[in-house]
Amino acid sequence: MREEIQRIKQETLKQLEMLKSPAELQELKVKVMGKKGSLTALLKQMGSLSPEERPKMGQIINEVRNQLEKAWELKEKELEKEALAKRLEEERIDISLPGFYRPRGHRHPLTKVIEEIEDIFLGMGFTIAEGPEIETDYYNFEALNLPKDHPARDMQDTFFITEDILLRTQTSPVQVRTMEKLKPQLPVKIIAPGKVFRHDDDATHSPMFHQVEGLMVDKGVRMSDLKGILLYFSRQMFGENREIRLRPSFFPFTEPSAEVDVSCILCGGEGCRLCKGTGWIEILGSGMVHPRVLEAGGYNPKEVTGFAFGMGVERIAMLKYGIEDMRLLFDNDIRFLEQF
Amino acid sequence: MRVSMKWLKEYLDINISAEELAEVLTRGGIEVEGVEYLNKGFENVFIGELIELQSHPDAEKLQVCVADIGREQLTIVTGAQNIRLGDKVPVAVPGAVLPGGKEIKPVKLRGIESNGMLCSAKELQLEGVGLDRSKDGILILPPEAPVGTPLEKYLGLNDQVLELELYPNRPDCLAMVNVAREVGSLLGKKPVLPEWAQGEVPIWPEEIKQKVEIENPELSWRYSALLVEDVVIKPSPLWMQNRLRAAGIRPINNIVDITNYCMLEMGQPLHAFDRDKLKGAIRVRLAQEGEKIITLDGMERNLDPDMLVIADDNGPVAIAGVMGGLETEVTHQTTRVLFESAHFLGASIRRTSRKLGLRSESSSRFEKGVNPYWTVSTLGRVAELLLELEAGVPMTFTEKVAYLPPEVAIELKMANVNNVLGVDYSEKDVEQVLEALNFAYRKQPGGIYLVNIPTYRQDLRIEEDLIEEVARIQGYDRIPTTLPSGSQTQGRRTPEQAFRLHLRKLFIQAGMDEVLTYSFVKKEQDDLWGTGQSIPLLNPLREELAIMRTSLIPGLLEIASRNTARRNTDLLLFEIGNVYWPKELPLKELPREVTKIAGLVQGQSKRHWLAPQVKYDFFYLKGILDEVARASGMEFTYRRLTSEKYQKLLHPGRSAEIVLQGEVIGFIGEIYPQLDEEWGLERPVLFELDFAALFRNCNLTIRAKSYPRFPAIQRDLAVVVPDGVAAENIKKRVKELGGELLKEVEIFDVYKGESIPKGHKSLALSMRYQSEERTLTDEEVNSIYTAILQAIQQEFGAEWRK
Repeated sequence: MREEIQRIKQETLKQLEMLKSPAELQELKVKVMGKKGSLTALLKQMGSLSPEERPKMGQIINEVRNQLEKAWELKEKELEKEALAKRLEEERIDISLPGFYRPRGHRHPLTKVIEEIEDIFLGMGFTIAEGPEIETDYYNFEALNLPKDHPARDMQDTFFITEDILLRTQTSPVQVRTMEKLKPQLPVKIIAPGKVFRHDDDATHSPMFHQVEGLMVDKGVRMSDLKGILLYFSRQMFGENREIRLRPSFFPFTEPSAEVDVSCILCGGEGCRLCKGTGWIEILGSGMVHPRVLEAGGYNPKEVTGFAFGMGVERIAMLKYGIEDMRLLFDNDIRFLEQF
Repeated sequence: MRVSMKWLKEYLDINISAEELAEVLTRGGIEVEGVEYLNKGFENVFIGELIELQSHPDAEKLQVCVADIGREQLTIVTGAQNIRLGDKVPVAVPGAVLPGGKEIKPVKLRGIESNGMLCSAKELQLEGVGLDRSKDGILILPPEAPVGTPLEKYLGLNDQVLELELYPNRPDCLAMVNVAREVGSLLGKKPVLPEWAQGEVPIWPEEIKQKVEIENPELSWRYSALLVEDVVIKPSPLWMQNRLRAAGIRPINNIVDITNYCMLEMGQPLHAFDRDKLKGAIRVRLAQEGEKIITLDGMERNLDPDMLVIADDNGPVAIAGVMGGLETEVTHQTTRVLFESAHFLGASIRRTSRKLGLRSESSSRFEKGVNPYWTVSTLGRVAELLLELEAGVPMTFTEKVAYLPPEVAIELKMANVNNVLGVDYSEKDVEQVLEALNFAYRKQPGGIYLVNIPTYRQDLRIEEDLIEEVARIQGYDRIPTTLPSGSQTQGRRTPEQAFRLHLRKLFIQAGMDEVLTYSFVKKEQDDLWGTGQSIPLLNPLREELAIMRTSLIPGLLEIASRNTARRNTDLLLFEIGNVYWPKELPLKELPREVTKIAGLVQGQSKRHWLAPQVKYDFFYLKGILDEVARASGMEFTYRRLTSEKYQKLLHPGRSAEIVLQGEVIGFIGEIYPQLDEEWGLERPVLFELDFAALFRNCNLTIRAKSYPRFPAIQRDLAVVVPDGVAAENIKKRVKELGGELLKEVEIFDVYKGESIPKGHKSLALSMRYQSEERTLTDEEVNSIYTAILQAIQQEFGAEWRK
């Protein structure tokens, strides 16, 4: 009997070695240890043994059984591992294939820039004012210290609707409109983004374009504050390392007036093609609000001062995104728009 | 204004390059557009004398000459026919690169070596130089031209010109003497200016015979005239011609050149009349109805009664400040000249010049403002030059002064300088500026300066103007950077601005691309899609941009069309912008500006290996709109178009009015068949919505609800109904019938085809039942389900599809 046990053990272990699937494993298990299994059969024969032999034999069979159980377990794990490895191999995908996505839409670059400018100034406590795109001569010119037949009107070619109604040539009319609405409240701190129109159409001019106006009026506003606000803005917009410089200029509605240059966003001031070797790029016009404009807005220039600035959104978008031809902005080709 | 460095240096002892000066001026507020080197291309061009000239032995059309250029004699083959033996001509020697870019090398022409080139005026880009014969070929210089001298030296081209871009506030810098003053102020140097440049008035005997009347003193404050006899008309000297050319003015003859030269120096436009052609008194007056004049350019001009003219007894002899008349022009026969030096009001000259479409050096100066104090001193300079050039003898003088503006003094307070600029300047800083500008001032107690403004600085009228002068002469770089010290404010968007941003974001999240189109469009297209009541521009750029839009659709169609033509056929476009609705036409008050949101979709989603393509059709767009509404706390309903106008523009079976709270706020629909072909489009679907209506009804407040703790039961129901039954109605009815427990009904399939009878469609609905209080039983749900089924079978003629 002992030999028989050993024989079953050896044989089973041998067969176990050759097994290839969990099903075969199960089959073997039944064959050896099932109700009609070979080992079970031996157990059943135990009755015919002597009482002395019986416990010994029982112990041997149990040992063999445990050994086989262990071997089975090991084999089972091994097979599982193999099966998993096989599955992983089979489930392999071509990871180079494109993923699936739902295309997003795109903000127009000009809107994107306007929103960014708005956010910078909102953060500095400015609110957003709006005004009509079709304006009166009064708000667009006269209230801004530009009387009829003033030569400075030549600086802006105007689309007229009637003699006194026109398409605004600048966002500056919002200055006086806002002051009229807010007076005598202080401070006035607004920006006014919007469409403006000039009778001009070539490679560098569009008959419709966008500006963002800024206005701050309060007791004791200084030109140095204008410089501070614009430096902060330029760094937010074009990067922390930017510097600005002011150059004397002329606008009828500011005095003193200043053109503002930012250190070149491409070369940082070394001089390159973009800044034409000067290291500086002109980005906006500004100045201290002219006393006559404050008066037109209902404020007393002896009591308050203010600064104002105006920037071209197209120019800033072109600088920021490296757009070389302004016409692309109004061409609305989706291949262009999809970059934003 | 073109400023010659050489000319400038006559007044000012400066030793800096043109580029350095350009930078100083630009930083000082006088923008310099560019620096032009007048001698560019003249490096190897010399004055040569033709000492031999004969025909080419082997070529009929060529001549062979020997040119003496001083250091050597060059044999040159030329095709020119206008040259004669002994002529002085410009000779370009090998190595020269002419202004037009032409390179000169030794060449063999029909067997003869040619070692240079004789140049024409055109090749040298020179105009008005040389003898009359020059126009037929080679530039022929006057006989006195010195042989061997570099041409650039002879023509004064060893000079640079700064091109000043002057703002309207600085017309004073249209005069060389004032440019010298400005440069002096910026560099801290005193210019040396002759007397006439200080406004000094010479003394002449008064002319009694020539009467001058100013009939419109509001338009002309002063009229001064110098009478000159024994005039000899001839070319002006080379130095004067060179300076005029550098300034961009073509030399004509000594008299005309003197008027232009003095205008450049003093900024005062002048005009020369042939005095013998003037009849009687000179009147400065408005033109009379029907009057005409032939101007110097030979054009007949009809004059309006608001145009200022100079007239004699016979009628207008000049359009004041704009252009003289042909009849009284100075010619070679002229022996007596009347030089006019007058003031005319800028606004009037500007209007006249615009109306006539006639601009001149003179009119553009008068428009910007000419100093009325300098009319006579400019004539003093004219007299000086006449004698110097032996061009005539100044005899007598006459003038009429109607008005002279009072001289201006401005109070400048130290405190204001520092408060407005945010600087901490000392009195010394301010005085330094006033002295640099050469402004006389009186210091008063309390840090106040009473500053006398010279008459040529008409831009300085209030204290702020002087503060700018202080800032600019001290340099804007001295202004520090500070932040406003006033009360803190909070910046935030108004609810309306925030909602606009919110909508834009939603459309972008839905995959749509934002576009921006012009506010002006073509009238026909706008009439079709808009209100038909559009505002026309008086001066449109072109017909396609003639009126202010009343609808956003034409702009979108245009963009879609352009994209489609470039094979960008799959489009999801939207725009947020204003349309302009007049209250009446022609416009008497500002129109309503109404914000609209519109869009256009066409084509289908990109092909992808994993997912089927989705058509950008009515339902695709409707789904986006519904999601935008949902995300804004609203719900749109749709009904068939009632507007006859849109029924002709949109596919009647594939379009709808969009209704919100009982109000039609826009439309959606596929474009009417064939209309799309006109634009080269393929079945685009459009929408337009009214922003204000959306804003009125939106609710962006979020009230969060917890989710039910009890499980839901899902049931599907498929029914076959006649085509005419609107799916929405079935859905609504199911929802009603389901009562409180039916939380959600969705139509998840629509099917027409084989197993469905003709004229019918199969709708599949999914229903979700759920209670907030307990777990539902199958029996409960089944009984509701059965009730729903029975009801819709009866009400809609629906048939249950198992």
